[in-house]
Amino acid sequence: MNVQVPPARTLEVVERNANSMTLSMGPQHPSTHGVLQVIVDVSGEIIERADMEIGYLHTGIEKSAENLFWTQAQTVLERMDYLNPVGNAFCYVMAAEKLLGIGDKIPPRAQQIRVLNAELTRISSHCVWLGTHGIDLGAISAFWYAFNIREKILDLVEGFGGARMHPNYLRIGGVNGDVPDGLLEKLDELIAEFPGRMRELRRLLQNNPIWRDRTIDIGTISAEEALRWSLTGPSLRGSGIAYDVRKAFPYSGYETYEFDVPVRTEGDSYARFLCRLDEMDESMRIIRQVRERLASGPGPVVVDDPKIVAPPKETIAISMEALIHHFKIVSEGFRVPPGDVYQAIESPRGEMAYYVVSNGNNRPYRARTRPPSMYNLQCLKSIAVGNMIADMVVMIGSLDPVFGEVDR
Amino acid sequence: MPSSQTPSIAGYALDPTTVRPPLSDAEILRITPGELRETLVRLREEGCSMLLDVGGVDYLARVPRFDVVYHLLALPAVPASVEEIGTPRRVRVLVGVPGEHPHVPSVTDLWVSADWAEREIYDLFGIVFDGHPNLRRIQMPDDWEGYPLRKDYPLRGPAREATPRPSFALKSNVPAGAPPSGKVAEALRQQIARARGQEK
Repeated sequence: MNVQVPPARTLEVVERNANSMTLSMGPQHPSTHGVLQVIVDVSGEIIERADMEIGYLHTGIEKSAENLFWTQAQTVLERMDYLNPVGNAFCYVMAAEKLLGIGDKIPPRAQQIRVLNAELTRISSHCVWLGTHGIDLGAISAFWYAFNIREKILDLVEGFGGARMHPNYLRIGGVNGDVPDGLLEKLDELIAEFPGRMRELRRLLQNNPIWRDRTIDIGTISAEEALRWSLTGPSLRGSGIAYDVRKAFPYSGYETYEFDVPVRTEGDSYARFLCRLDEMDESMRIIRQVRERLASGPGPVVVDDPKIVAPPKETIAISMEALIHHFKIVSEGFRVPPGDVYQAIESPRGEMAYYVVSNGNNRPYRARTRPPSMYNLQCLKSIAVGNMIADMVVMIGSLDPVFGEVDR
Repeated sequence: MPSSQTPSIAGYALDPTTVRPPLSDAEILRITPGELRETLVRLREEGCSMLLDVGGVDYLARVPRFDVVYHLLALPAVPASVEEIGTPRRVRVLVGVPGEHPHVPSVTDLWVSADWAEREIYDLFGIVFDGHPNLRRIQMPDDWEGYPLRKDYPLRGPAREATPRPSFALKSNVPAGAPPSGKVAEALRQQIARARGQEK
């Protein structure tokens, strides 16, 4: 038996004539960071037109969330942006808390633990971005250095929630338990080690002539264009507009931390790269401040409301009321007063928000996501034109799309 | 023990946006589809330069049935520092859309970023955006029937089984015996023609 197997191709020529060619890049292309198909018209090596096709990873998360209890919906929504699970949950629980009217009753310690988790996830998300962006450009060693940091962070996340990727640690009303024993010491190790690790990363890439050649003046977008394309996060700040939800609409006590918002005015891929690198340092600055506040010892980490937060497991065997509350929350959830709310947070990719509607039932009536990746990715259509086909992967990488969130 | 659930909630709200608790998350405007364009143009001239998001909600029993929700943010169109931005203005525009022949004017000429968001609402709610340059499904397959995020779209059970299946679920697009080459060029050509169909 002799079956001829043609080589698997990720870049297929669809049409060809004397001057130009239509190429289909993806959806299984490794440097599209997921399942993105880009249909490109090239003249020689210059991109004349790019059309994107998305939806290959559509899983109907929003529909699923509508049919789960308020607490269960958090589990599926967390899987949306899989590099920033804590951020998704963070945003959703804050929206639900606002509707429940307990938004200002969250214990400070719970808020600090949330901020700590969110900032740790921001660093680990940027590590994945940096590593894969580096691989796209042939700088493979940066990947190992970046994932070294990420590994340490995932260990901490595992310490909090028991799972590395999707801890499901936040709760509507607080967090699930105080900081575990020994975790702060591990955090101290990371804090001590981090500046050195960042120095290594910067030394590998920041002044690397090949890296600079490949990213400077590639995929440039002006401040005005960035607004037209609704860019947020580092992609917007790379174009000079220092809009950060943590500063503009502070939540969970961000106004009490001291940190800067890195901003560059060049608007090219290199500017976005520098913004994200600086953001990792700023996140660590916040983490150091949270660490100091958490040292003050244990305290309440959930609101005192047994109708919303299930009582501790230990009390169930000895208190009938606790058992009833626990049973009610598990078997039928709780009801949330009717209303709609828009809650935004600063995710590693930009303004991520939930527009949550409740009709008074025990399930969210609608949880519309504002996916920052989707809006950021859209502008590729505009910035790709006039660049070389080889720079397509640079531009996709510098926008940092996560397809779990683009397609949901 | 105090509880946010005392007194308990009486019944379900048909239109939650009218009974919302006093939250200051944005300025809220409720308009009709006819007023949409002039309202958004006016807001943009007032400085709401960024269209953050367009979303849809299906209030099945309400008249009008759908809400299309526009979230706007006022940011300067030039490089600006954190202090210059301060706390920008947030505006939420709610547009009630009838369940029969849902039509809304497109705003893709005002903000290019509305392109995918409007396509997504068309795809998942079946609301048509008049004037959109390329209104077709974005998340679901091109031959999908029904609009999944509508509240009357069955999630599971016999009703879900009885809804028409897309053609790809019934047959493979790879003919038997074909070498495992992934997409054939012809299928790709058709897909690209579809993707650019209304422009060629």
